[in-house]
Amino acid sequence: MKNLAKYSLKVLQNAGAEKAVCYCSKSEMHELNVASGEISLFRTNFDTDITLIGMANDRKGSISINKADEKSIEAAAVQVMEMANSSNPDPANDIAEKQPHKNFSHGPQKPDLDKMYFRLSEFMDYAKKHYPKTIIEEINFSFNKQLSFYANSNNVYFEIEKGSYQFVVMFTTRDGQKTSSFNYAAHVSNDLNKPFSECSSIDRLIKQSSEQTVMHTIAGKFEGDVIFSPECLNNVIGSVFSYIRDYNMIKGSSVYKNKLDKQIASEKLTIHSNPLSEELASRYSITNDGYEAKNLTIIEKGVLKSFLLGLYGANKTGLRRAVNSGGCYIIEPGNTSFDEMIKSTKRGILLCRFSGGNPSDNGDFSGVAKNSYFIEDGEIKYPINETMITGNLVEMLMNIKQISKERENPGYQIYPWIKFGGVTISGK
Amino acid sequence: MIIKELEKYRKFFTEYTELRIQENRNTRISLVKGDVMSNNRSSEGGVSARVYKDGSWGFASDPVISDEIVKKVINTATDNAVFLSSKQQDKKSELISRKASLSKDFTTTKPKKSQKEMIEFLKEIDDHIIEKYPDLTSRAITLAALDMEKTLITSDESYSYSMIPRCLVYLVLTLVKDGKPYDLFQSYGGFGQFEDNFDDPAVLFDGIRTQYEHLVNKADGIYAKAGMHDVIMDAELAGILAHEAIGHTTESDIVKGGSVAADYMNKKAASEIVNLVDFANEAFGQICPVPVFVDDEGTLAQDAVIIKDGVLQSYMNNKDTALYFGHELTGNARAYRFNDEPLVRMRNTAILPGTCKLEDMIASIEDGYYLMKSYNGQADSTSEFMFGVQLGYEIKNGKLGKAIKDTTISGVAFDVLKSVSMVSDDMSWDCSGMCGKKQPIPVGMGGPAIKCRVNIGGK
Repeated sequence: MKNLAKYSLKVLQNAGAEKAVCYCSKSEMHELNVASGEISLFRTNFDTDITLIGMANDRKGSISINKADEKSIEAAAVQVMEMANSSNPDPANDIAEKQPHKNFSHGPQKPDLDKMYFRLSEFMDYAKKHYPKTIIEEINFSFNKQLSFYANSNNVYFEIEKGSYQFVVMFTTRDGQKTSSFNYAAHVSNDLNKPFSECSSIDRLIKQSSEQTVMHTIAGKFEGDVIFSPECLNNVIGSVFSYIRDYNMIKGSSVYKNKLDKQIASEKLTIHSNPLSEELASRYSITNDGYEAKNLTIIEKGVLKSFLLGLYGANKTGLRRAVNSGGCYIIEPGNTSFDEMIKSTKRGILLCRFSGGNPSDNGDFSGVAKNSYFIEDGEIKYPINETMITGNLVEMLMNIKQISKERENPGYQIYPWIKFGGVTISGK
Repeated sequence: MIIKELEKYRKFFTEYTELRIQENRNTRISLVKGDVMSNNRSSEGGVSARVYKDGSWGFASDPVISDEIVKKVINTATDNAVFLSSKQQDKKSELISRKASLSKDFTTTKPKKSQKEMIEFLKEIDDHIIEKYPDLTSRAITLAALDMEKTLITSDESYSYSMIPRCLVYLVLTLVKDGKPYDLFQSYGGFGQFEDNFDDPAVLFDGIRTQYEHLVNKADGIYAKAGMHDVIMDAELAGILAHEAIGHTTESDIVKGGSVAADYMNKKAASEIVNLVDFANEAFGQICPVPVFVDDEGTLAQDAVIIKDGVLQSYMNNKDTALYFGHELTGNARAYRFNDEPLVRMRNTAILPGTCKLEDMIASIEDGYYLMKSYNGQADSTSEFMFGVQLGYEIKNGKLGKAIKDTTISGVAFDVLKSVSMVSDDMSWDCSGMCGKKQPIPVGMGGPAIKCRVNIGGK
C-alpha cells in the first residue's frame, strides 16, 4: 500500500500527466446495528480507495477505484489522462506545492469488539430502564480505521493512520397512540471509557423525547427569540459556511464575497475550525488538496477572517486559500448560563431540532421546529408541534443576543447554545 | 461487467445466506460559469455476504473478488451471525421467501459516448444559455450518471442479475435582482444511460427557457404569507409528499420503530380520492424510473398498495418485518453499495392520478398558492413533513398571480391527505434525488397535482 501511491504517480506520469496526485486508503469497519430496539446485525467491511488525479496543459481529470492491483491502476491512469485531455484548459487547476514528508497517527488502531458489545447492551438496558416508552429505532455503532497515503508529483508525501468509534442513535417515544417526533444523537470517540448515556447530549435528547408525546401548537404568528441548541447550530453554521466555500464563491452568488475582514456577525461570535484539536476525536491532518492542515479562526468577534476556499477556489477567485478544509468547528463560549438564557426570554422557542429547507442564496430560510419547546416569561412551557420559524441567516448572525457558557462536545464539534432575536415564529 | 455466475459458492453456505457481487459506476462532470469544475469517474465494487442465524444477522464484504476472498467473506458473515446469536436469548422463526430468477440488463444499445462528447454536450448547453439569457449572473450545469450492476444468489434458491442505469443533468440558473441573488434548479433525464437520455442538447432548450422565465418571475416575486392556505401542489410536490411524508412513515421498519402509521392500518388515512402505491418496476404500462425486479434479499418484487381509496392497506416490507407483522413480502429490501446491507427502502412511490383538470383546480381557489417545485423534504415518525419550495405562484380569485420567493411548507401528512379535495388527471415522475436513510439510494417519486391545505412558512 505504501509503495502503491508512489507507483500510481509514476504510472500517471507515464500516461502523460504533468501534475499528478494519488490518494490511496485502506479501511476497515466493524459495526453493530440495533433495529427497532434489538441488536440485529454485526458487520465487518474491508475497503480500498485509490483516487488518481492527472493534469496536462491545465486540463484535469480524476478517477476513483477500489481495486489496488497494478493492472487496474494502469487502466485507471490511462483513463484519467483521456478524461483530462477531453476537458477544457483552466489555469486554476493545480496541486499542492512541495512540503516536508510527514506521518500522522491518531485514535485507536484496533477495535475492542467485546467492549463494543458491552457498551451497546449497557446503553440498551439504560434506555429501557429510564425511558421505557422510548423506542430505540436504530443504532449504528462502529469502529472505523483508515490507513491513507497522499502523494503528488511536487514531492508531497503524507501517511495517515486514523481510528475512532462512532455511535449514532435514533429514537421515538410512543405512549399509547401518542408519538413524539423522532430525534437522534451522535458521538465520536477514541475510546470506550464512558457509558454512552454519559456522552455529550445523548441522555438529554432521549429524555426530551420521552416528554414530547403530548405537544401543543402555538397560536398565530409573532417575532421572538429562538435559542438554538448545540445540535441545531449545525444548520446555521453549515449553511453560513457554504456561502464562503468554492462553489458559491466561484459562482459569484455569495452574500459574503466582499466581506473579508468585515463584520458579518455580532461581536459575541468567534468560530474556529480546529482539525488539530486534541479535544476532537474527528480531527484530521491533511486538507482535501494535500496540504498539512492547520487550525483556523474563521469568524473573530463577528469579523470574517477567512473564506473556506480550496486551492482551485483560491486560484479561481484570486483570494487566499484556507489552511484547512473546514469542519471541527469550535465556537467560543459566552458569559450567560443556559438557565439565564431561558429566564431572560420573554417569548420564543428552545429549538432542539430543525427540519428546514436549504437557505436561499440571500440567506432566507424557513422550516419546522422539531423536538422543541415554547418559552414564555422566562419559563419553558411545553413541547410544540406544527410550528414554523422563518428568518434570514445573514441578519440573524448580526442579531445574536446571548451565547451560553455551557458547550457540548460530541467529538466532532464544540458548540454552545445561542439565542438569536427577530425570528418569525408561526403556529397554526 | 461483473461476474454473473455465483452458483459455485453455494457450497459454502451453512445458514440462510445472501451472496452479492456489485459494482456502482459514477460519472460526474460539472461546469460552473463555463469552467469544468469537476471531471470525475468512479467505480466501486466487491463482494458481500449476509447470513441469518436464530434471529441475528452477520455481514461481511471485501473489494477483492476471488474464490478465496468470496469464501472468506461468507465465513466471516457466518461467524458474525453466530457471534451475535450466541449473545442473544430470542430465537426467531424461519424467514419467509418468494423466489426469483431474473436477469435485467438496461445497458444502452446505442454507441457509447466518450467523456469528451459529454463535456461538449454540456458546453453546448452552456453556450446556448450565455447567448439566449445574457442577464443571468451565473449558471452551473452538472451531469451525474450512475450504473448499478449486481448479481445475487440466496440460499433459498433466488438468483438475480441486473444493470440499472440513471443519468441526469442538473441545471442551476442564478439571477441578481436589487443586489440579492435568486436561484432556480431543474433536473433533466432519469432512467437510462447518457445515450438514451441525451441525444441532442436542443432537447433541453425548451425546458431551459421555461426555467429562465420562472426565475425572472421569482426574482420579481413576493414573499408568501405565513399560515394555513389552500394550495395546489403540482406533480413534483405531490411526489415528494408521497415519498417523504407517507412513504417513510409506512416503511415497515419505521412502523416497528414507533411511526404513527401503525395506528392507521385498515383505517381512513386520506381523502377517498387518494390512492398511493410504491411501484416495483412498472406503472401504467411503462417502466418506472428506478425499476426493482428482485430485491437484495432475493425477493421477487411486487407493487405495495399503501393507500387505496383513502384507506391504509399495507406497509413496505423486508424479510424481517414481513415475519414480524405477518405480512407478505413486497421486495423493498435494497442496498446501495456492495458493502451495504439491504434496508427497507422505497422504489417508485406515487399518488395515482384522479379526474380533475389542473386549470379547474386553480380556478377553484380564491386566495392561495400554486406550488410547483421543491428542493428538499423531510418527514417525521408523526408524519409531520417539511418541503422547501423553490417555485410557486399566488392564486387570487382563481387566477395565477405573482411568483413567490423560496419558502417552506409543512403539515401532518395524514391530515393533509384528508384535506385533498381535487386530484388532476395526469401525473409525472421524478428521480433526480437520492433518498437518505443510513445509506443513500436512488428512488422514483411521482404524482398528479393535488388540492389540499398546508402551512406555509412565509413572512
